[in-house]
Amino acid sequence: MADFLQVRAIKHLGPFTLDVDIRCPYLVTALFGPSGAGKSTLLGMVAGLMDPDEGEIVIGDRVVFSSARKIRVPPEARGIGCVFQDGLLFPHLSVLQNLHYGYDLLSPGDRRLDPEDVIDLLDLGPRLAHRPRQLSGGERQRVALGRALLRSPDLLTLDEPLAALDPGLKNRILPYLRSIRDTLGLPMLCVSHSVGDILQLTGQVVILSDGKCVTQGDFFDVAHHETVVPLLGDYGFENVLQVQVSSNDPDAGLTRVAYEDQVIKVPLCDRPVGDRLFIGIRANDIILSRTEPEGLSLRNALQGRVGEVRRAGAVSMVSVDVGKRLLVEVTPEAVVELGLKEGERVFCLVKTHSIRIGPSVAPDRT
Amino acid sequence: MNPQALEIVWLSLKVAVACVAISLPPGVLCGWLLARSSFRGKVLLDGILHLPLVLPPVVTGYLLLMLLGQRGPVGMLLEQVGIQVAFDWKGAVLASAVVAFPLLLRSVRSSIENVDPRLESAARTLGAGRIRAFSTVTLRMALPGVFVGGLLSFARSLGEFGATITFVSNIPGQTRTLPLAIYTFINQPGGDRAALGLVLLSIALSLAALAASEVLTRRVRRG
Repeated sequence: MADFLQVRAIKHLGPFTLDVDIRCPYLVTALFGPSGAGKSTLLGMVAGLMDPDEGEIVIGDRVVFSSARKIRVPPEARGIGCVFQDGLLFPHLSVLQNLHYGYDLLSPGDRRLDPEDVIDLLDLGPRLAHRPRQLSGGERQRVALGRALLRSPDLLTLDEPLAALDPGLKNRILPYLRSIRDTLGLPMLCVSHSVGDILQLTGQVVILSDGKCVTQGDFFDVAHHETVVPLLGDYGFENVLQVQVSSNDPDAGLTRVAYEDQVIKVPLCDRPVGDRLFIGIRANDIILSRTEPEGLSLRNALQGRVGEVRRAGAVSMVSVDVGKRLLVEVTPEAVVELGLKEGERVFCLVKTHSIRIGPSVAPDRT
Repeated sequence: MNPQALEIVWLSLKVAVACVAISLPPGVLCGWLLARSSFRGKVLLDGILHLPLVLPPVVTGYLLLMLLGQRGPVGMLLEQVGIQVAFDWKGAVLASAVVAFPLLLRSVRSSIENVDPRLESAARTLGAGRIRAFSTVTLRMALPGVFVGGLLSFARSLGEFGATITFVSNIPGQTRTLPLAIYTFINQPGGDRAALGLVLLSIALSLAALAASEVLTRRVRRG
């Protein structure tokens, strides 16, 4: 598969050195790392706002920077749409003028998107005459997203697009990002520090730490890495599952959802039957059992087979194949006592109320 | 208004408008340089540009005379291409522009510093070249400050006395602006009445300039 983006770069910034070699073959790549890891520096170099001391940056099949070949395409000619952390909307322009800033600078033949469509996609119609300061945080991010999209970029970079938003707003932005991914097929490089958020978009991650690319690949393959575990923070790793509502049971206080061919009971949520949504289950909220439990208040027992077992610092991460992979955090002692080995049948036990209800899969147009 | 007063006011306005017009481009350029770039000798440039603010205007005028007068090094060069500034209204423009420049510069510089430089980066990623990004974002947002700077420069030019009288003397119809005319009338026996008239005119002009700038600034802020 051709890479959407390749970055090979060395950049010295005072005592800090960024030295990376990254390839992004998947449509959406997430860039993780603690603050100071060099994520923003990397995005700045891709956008052309900063030059590597040495290296090469290729977007699609276009070399936009090469120290060896003395190529340096200025930012305005790189065809990159940037969504900055705090939006960076032009405060002196209206929402409509902000959206049109990049669009108007394109020659008509290069305009791949119609402003009307983007305004519809992002639900910005009622806000067009407003100034950025009159908008809510989520609206501002949507305008920033729309402005970057209307520049008809070959690559979209997003710097913590969700960081400034509260959970409710995140759940409103994520569907937009997913519909951009699905309907426009636009490659994205998305910086995030929240695993739960980003896994709703992609499983492909690049992990930066202290200026180095620690690892890259499928998140489930790298989640046990000793540099990744601390990134998960106090919250720990969260499995994100795509499920479909099968019934609501207000009396029992729960909603039944179908996941692969199993049923999961989640806290009652007012989503219509048939609605597809994401749910989050933290790796350390799952209990493993070799036998099907009886006489417990637990509502959920997902059947599966043990995949990999890996030590990650003080804990062990067990991946369980329940149709798709589920990561479970257990103590290394439990691994020994339960005899958790590849191929063994286990039950994953989850309390209904430790399941987080995420956003709907289809764009939410309310 | 008698023809003589009219001529004085007209000359003063001409000098002040020309002063603002020739100061704005270098003012914006220097304001941007000082606000946004770092280079060797920045502190020195900053100091030199601010010198007229702290020097007595008579000293500034004398330095201009030495440099640009008929026997000054720059003045002789200019004379070869047929430009003479000393003892001419153009010299009065130059004198007030130099004296007023730091006022314009400070205002422009601080208003550019108040614009988040990352907004210009955002404009670049959206396809705007350097100059377009600067003019549509930074300069556009700094416009109220530029107007205030222009007004300060205009007002300073209307009031300029020391540098003008030293550099280009006090020639009726050429360099005798309002302050020089008022000074002249006061020193003439029986000139008090005429001086008072010009003083009132001077106040009216200043108030009008203030009001005009306020209107402009508001219009820019509203966008």
